[in-house]
Amino acid sequence: MVPTAGEPAAGDSWGMLACLCTVLWHLPAVPALNRTGDPGPGPSIQKTYDLTRYLEHQLRSLAGTYLNYLGPPFNEPDFNPPRLGAETLPRATVDLEVWRSLNDKLRLTQNYEAYSHLLCYLRGLNRQAATAELRRSLAHFCTSLQGLLGSIAGVMAALGYPLPQPLPGTEPTWTPGPAHSDFLQKMDDFWLLKELQTWLWRSAKDFNRLKKKMQPPAAAVTLHLGAHGF
Amino acid sequence: MDIYVCLKRASWMVDNTRMRTASNFQWLLSTFILLYLMNQVNSQKKGTPHDLKCVTNNLQVWDCYWKAPSGTGRGIDYEVCIENRSHSCYQLEKTNIKIPALSHGDYEITINSLHDFGSSTSKFTLNEQNVSLIPDTPEILNLSADFSTSTLHLKWNDRGSVFPHHSNVIWEIKILRKESMELVKLVTYNTTLNGKDTLHHWSWASDMPLECAIHFVEIRCYIDNLHFSGHKEWSDWSPVKNISWMPDSQTKVFPQDKVILVGSDITFCCVSQEKVLSALIGHTNCPLIHLDGENVAIKIHNISVSASSGTNVVFTTEDNIFGTVIFAGYPPDTPQQLNCETHDLKEILCSWNPGRATALVGPRATSYTLLESFSGKYVRFKRAEAPTNESYQLFFQMLPNQEIYNFTLNAHNPLGRSESTILVNITEKDNLIDHYYLEPVFELKRQPNFVLLLQGIRAVPSKGPDTWREWSSDGKNLIIYWKPLPINEANGKILSYNVSCSSDEETQSLSEIPDPQHKAEIQLDKNDYIISVVAKNSVGSSPPSKIASMEIPNDDLKIEQVVGMGKGILLTWHYDPNMTCDYVIKWCNSSRSEPCLMDWRKVPSNSTETVIESDQFRPGVRYNFFLYGCRNQGYQLLRSMIGYIEELAPTVAPNFTVEDTSADSILVKWEDIPVEELRGFLRGYLFYFGKGERDTSKMRVLESGRSDIKVKNITDISQKTLRIADLQGKTSYHLVLRAYTDGGVGPEKSMYVVTKENSVGLIIAILIPVAVAVIVGVVTSILCYRKREWIKETFYPDIPNPENCKALQFQKSVCEGSSGLKTLEMNPCTPNNVEVLETRSAFPKIEDTEIISPIAERPEDRSDAEPENHVVVSYCPPIIEEEIPNPAADEAGGTAQVIYIDVQSMYQPQAKPEEEQENDPVGGAGYKPQMHLLINSTMEDIAAEEDLEKTVGYRPQANVNTWNLVSPDSPRSIDSNSEIVSFGSPCSINSRQFLIPPKDEDSPESNGGGWSFTNFFQNKPND
Repeated sequence: MVPTAGEPAAGDSWGMLACLCTVLWHLPAVPALNRTGDPGPGPSIQKTYDLTRYLEHQLRSLAGTYLNYLGPPFNEPDFNPPRLGAETLPRATVDLEVWRSLNDKLRLTQNYEAYSHLLCYLRGLNRQAATAELRRSLAHFCTSLQGLLGSIAGVMAALGYPLPQPLPGTEPTWTPGPAHSDFLQKMDDFWLLKELQTWLWRSAKDFNRLKKKMQPPAAAVTLHLGAHGF
Repeated sequence: MDIYVCLKRASWMVDNTRMRTASNFQWLLSTFILLYLMNQVNSQKKGTPHDLKCVTNNLQVWDCYWKAPSGTGRGIDYEVCIENRSHSCYQLEKTNIKIPALSHGDYEITINSLHDFGSSTSKFTLNEQNVSLIPDTPEILNLSADFSTSTLHLKWNDRGSVFPHHSNVIWEIKILRKESMELVKLVTYNTTLNGKDTLHHWSWASDMPLECAIHFVEIRCYIDNLHFSGHKEWSDWSPVKNISWMPDSQTKVFPQDKVILVGSDITFCCVSQEKVLSALIGHTNCPLIHLDGENVAIKIHNISVSASSGTNVVFTTEDNIFGTVIFAGYPPDTPQQLNCETHDLKEILCSWNPGRATALVGPRATSYTLLESFSGKYVRFKRAEAPTNESYQLFFQMLPNQEIYNFTLNAHNPLGRSESTILVNITEKDNLIDHYYLEPVFELKRQPNFVLLLQGIRAVPSKGPDTWREWSSDGKNLIIYWKPLPINEANGKILSYNVSCSSDEETQSLSEIPDPQHKAEIQLDKNDYIISVVAKNSVGSSPPSKIASMEIPNDDLKIEQVVGMGKGILLTWHYDPNMTCDYVIKWCNSSRSEPCLMDWRKVPSNSTETVIESDQFRPGVRYNFFLYGCRNQGYQLLRSMIGYIEELAPTVAPNFTVEDTSADSILVKWEDIPVEELRGFLRGYLFYFGKGERDTSKMRVLESGRSDIKVKNITDISQKTLRIADLQGKTSYHLVLRAYTDGGVGPEKSMYVVTKENSVGLIIAILIPVAVAVIVGVVTSILCYRKREWIKETFYPDIPNPENCKALQFQKSVCEGSSGLKTLEMNPCTPNNVEVLETRSAFPKIEDTEIISPIAERPEDRSDAEPENHVVVSYCPPIIEEEIPNPAADEAGGTAQVIYIDVQSMYQPQAKPEEEQENDPVGGAGYKPQMHLLINSTMEDIAAEEDLEKTVGYRPQANVNTWNLVSPDSPRSIDSNSEIVSFGSPCSINSRQFLIPPKDEDSPESNGGGWSFTNFFQNKPND
C-alpha cells in the first residue's frame, strides 16, 4: 500500500457522509467555478478529490447490485478471475516508482483519459442491462462520472494543461469486442467495475497529492480573500 | 530230463513270442486298413467339389461358391450345370459362379471338376431357401456436423436400383463417442427401396456438444424382402466416419449462450489442456465426467429458470477459469387481452398482455409483430417502446378504403412462437367488432361524416346459410347445422338465426338463436319436414336456405375404402340424372359417436367428382365419408366410404395368444387392432417364428436372418388364427406378430412358447422294450418247457443213487442173505470224483472262507496280512477279490479272503448301517453285520468286544481295531497300510459294508456308522 499522508481513514464514514452531502450540494456549481477560474485550482482540486471519494462510495453500492445481477460466481467475495479479454480497459495499477515519477500534467492527463474510456464502457453496460432499476443506477453513476470528468478537465484548465485528444466533447463510442460470448462479456463487466474502483482509489491519491502541492497558493488566496474582507 | 524240460520250456517260450508277434501284426494291419478306408472315404468326399454356398446382395444374381477338391492343384476347370427349365452349363476356372436368381423350387446343380488326375462330379440341390441375402456394405457418403446445434447429419445412398422389388430396409446407425468408441446411440431407421438409388438423410442431435469429444458413425442395413424366402442377414458395418472439432477460438466451454426450455436436461463440456478442478452451475458443484484428454463434461437435469443475466456455468483449472452462460426460459405465452381501438380513425392502437414471463430478456426477449393480413402490412414491436410488461402496444396506420382489418399478433422468442388474431370491422356504426378469439373493444368515435359515408353499403345477408341436418342417435331429434356466412355474403355482423321446420301438418320454429351458435335441435316425428334457416343482421333477414328432413333409403350400399392423395381425398361418382339438386358429401371422424359430423360440402348436381380437403384431416385417422344425392327434396345416401388422408403404420402390435400347443404345432390366435391404433387399412400380418429362448434379444429374431426364422405373410385379414406345424417337441419358439398397412409395418409383439413333449413317442419307447421282453420271456419259457427233458439231461443229470453204488451192490451181493450177520462196512464211497477247483464265483468262496478260515476268528492279525498296493484309486472294479496271504493263516493252513469294494460304487453307505442298527440289537445272536461291530467296537472297549465275540455267531473277516491301530513297528510301513485304507475297504460280500470304522469322529456320518469318501480325503492330510 502506498503511504499517503493526510488521507482520511476509511472508517471515518459519518464525517465523510457530511462532506459528501456538501459536495453534492455544490456539484452543479463546479464547472461554473472553473469557468470563472477566479479562486485558482485549489478549491476545484479539493472538490474533485471529494467527488472522487463520493464516486468510490457510490460505486460500492452499484458494484454490489451489478455483480448480483451477473450472478454467481461473480458476486462471490473471493472471486478473482484472470483478466481475459479485458485488455482494452485502461489499467489503473501502476508501479509505485513509475507513479511517483509522473508529473502533475501526466497524472491528470492519465486520469482524464482513463475516465473517458471507462465512461464509454459504462454507457455500453447501461445499454445491455436488462432491468430498469439497474439501468437507473448505471445512468446515475454515469452522470456522476461525467461530472468527475468535467471536474478533472476544469482542474487541468485551471493549471493550464491542454486536454488530451480526442476532445472530451466528442462522445466516446462503445465498440464491443468481436463475437464476445455472454460469459466473456460478464468477465469484462466484472473487470470494468474492478478497474473503475482502482482508478477512483488512485485518483483520490492523485488529487490528494495535487491538493497538498497546491496548498500554499490556495492559502494565499484565502489570505488574499481575507484581506479583501478587511 | 532237466535238459528236456529246459528245451521244452524254451520252445514254448518261442512259440509264445511268435504268437504274440503275430497278434501284434494283425492288430497293426487292421488299424492300417481302417485308417486307409477312412481316408478313402474322406478323400472321396474331398476329392469332389463340396460345400456349395450361395449368397445374393441384390436378389437378381446369386453368387455361388464351393470348395475345390482337395489334393488338386490350381489348374482345375469346372463345368457347372444347372438343371433349369433349360439345361445350362458354364465353363470356368474359379470356384465361384454368378448365376441369375432362380425362381422358387429345387434345382440340381452339377459341378464337374476336371483336373490332372481326372474328373470328379458333385451334385447339389439348390433352393432359394438356401441362399443368403446379404446386402452390400453401405457407405456413408457424407457425415457433417452442425456444432451450434450439436447435430450430426448423415447422408448415404440406398443403392435401391439393383433391387428388383420394393423392399423394406432397416438401417441400423451406430453412434460412438470418444477415442474409446463408447456406444451412445443405436437407432434403426426404416426406409423402402423403390427401384432407384435414393439418398437418405438422417440427423441426430447429440446430448453432448460435439466439440468436446470425437464422434464416430457406422451404418449397416437389413433388407426385409417379403418375396425372398432365403436367409436374410445384416450387411457388414460401413467404414466408420468421424467428426471432431478443430479448436479455432478462445471458447473452451460448450454450448455457448444457449437458450433452453426450463426443465430440460443439458450437458456442458469444457475443452481444456490443463486439468479441470471443478465445475459450478450457479452455486452448485457438479460431478465431472471425464472425456478424452483433459476434457470434461457435466450433466444438468431439469434445469431451473435463469436469472435475467442467465445462469453461469464455470469450469475452474489451476490458474484459469472458463465458462458459459445458459438462458433457461419459456416460449412466449399467447398474447392475452389483445385489444385494438382507434380514437382518431387514423391509427389503430392494439395493446395486449404478454402472459407468463419468459424469463428471457435483452436480445432473447419476445419480439412481437402485428400483421394485417388483408393489406399484408405489419408493424414490429420495439422493446424500447414498452419498458414495462404492462404496456405492450402497437400503432397501426389505418389504410384508406379498408374497413375490415384482420390482425395477427405474432410473438416470437428463441424457444418458440405464438399468436393471437383479431378481426376488426369498422363499417358498423356502433362500437362493434367481429371477433374470433378474444374480447376486443373497438371504440369508434361518432363522426357524422363517417356514418353517412357508410350507410350506402349496409344490406341484408345476401344468402341463407349452408345447412345440413342429422338425426340424433336416438332418432327422436333432428339436429340442424349451418355454417356462418362468409363476410361478403353476411353484409355486416350476423346477429342471430331463425330455424323453422314445417310439414303439411305443423310448423315448429326456433327464433333468435344468437350468432356464435350454429346448430339447433328440434324434436320431430318421422314425418317429412322442410327445414329452413335464416340469418339475420342488423338490417334484416337472409333468404331462407331449405333442406328436407327425409332420407330416402338405399339398400344397395357397400362400404368402400378410399385413401387420400396429398392433402385431400378425391371422390368420384357416376352422373345420375335423377339427382336434381346438389350432392352433399359429409364426413366425420369414424371413432366419434353418432351423430357423426365434422363437416359437409355441397357439390352442384352436374359434377361427378370433388376433392375433399380440410385442415382438420390428420394422417392416420380414419374418416367416414358419405355421399348423398338429392332428389325430390329428399336426400339419399349413395355411397358410404371409409378412408384415410394418409395411411400410417400401426402403432401397436396385434394382441396374440397361444390357444393350443402340441408336440409339433402351435395354434396362435390374435385379436383385431383398434381402428385408432391401426392408422390405415389393415393389409395383413407378418408372423415370424423360430427357435429362440427368452433371453435372446427381440430384434435378433428379425435381424439375424437365421435359417430357422420363418416368416408367414398373412394377407387374409379375416384370418385370426394360425397353426404352425412341423415343429420340434419340447422346444422353445419365439413368435413375433406384426400388422401392416400400406403405411408401413407396425411394431412387433413377441412371445415365447415351448412345445409339448412328444408323449406318443415316449409311450412307444417304453412299450416296445416291455413287449419285446415279455415275448422273449414267453418264447424262452415255451422253449424251456418243450426242451425240458434235454435241459434236465444237460444241466441236471440224475445223481446216482448211493443204493445203486456198485460197492454197495457188491456189498449187498456179498452180504445178501446174511445181512443180519455183518454190519455195513463203510468204505469211503466216492461216486463221482468231485474236485473243487478254484472258481471265481464269489459265493462258494465266501462260504469256504467263512467256514474254514480261522483268520476270521482272529481278525487282529489281519492287519499284518494286508498286501501292498492291492487297489489303486483310479481302478475301481465293482468287486475285487483277493486272496490274502496271511502268515497267521498260512500257519493255520487256510486262506482268508477279503473283498474290496470300491468306495464310489457303494450305494447308501450311511443309510444302510443305520437300518441294520435298528433291526439288530447289540449282542443279538445270529447274523451280525460287520458294520454293527464297527459301530460298537471302539479301541477302548476291547473287552466288550471280546464278550461280543463270544455271543455272535457270525465272525467278521477283520477286526476293526486292527484297521485303525496300525503300529509303527509293524512289518508293513504306515504308508502301505494307509494306502490300502485310503482307496478300498474290506467288506463282507453279504452286508456290503465297510469293515473300516469311521476315522472322523466329528463327522455326523461317522457317528451314524457311515463313512464318506470325501470325509476321508479331507482328513487324510491331517493324519
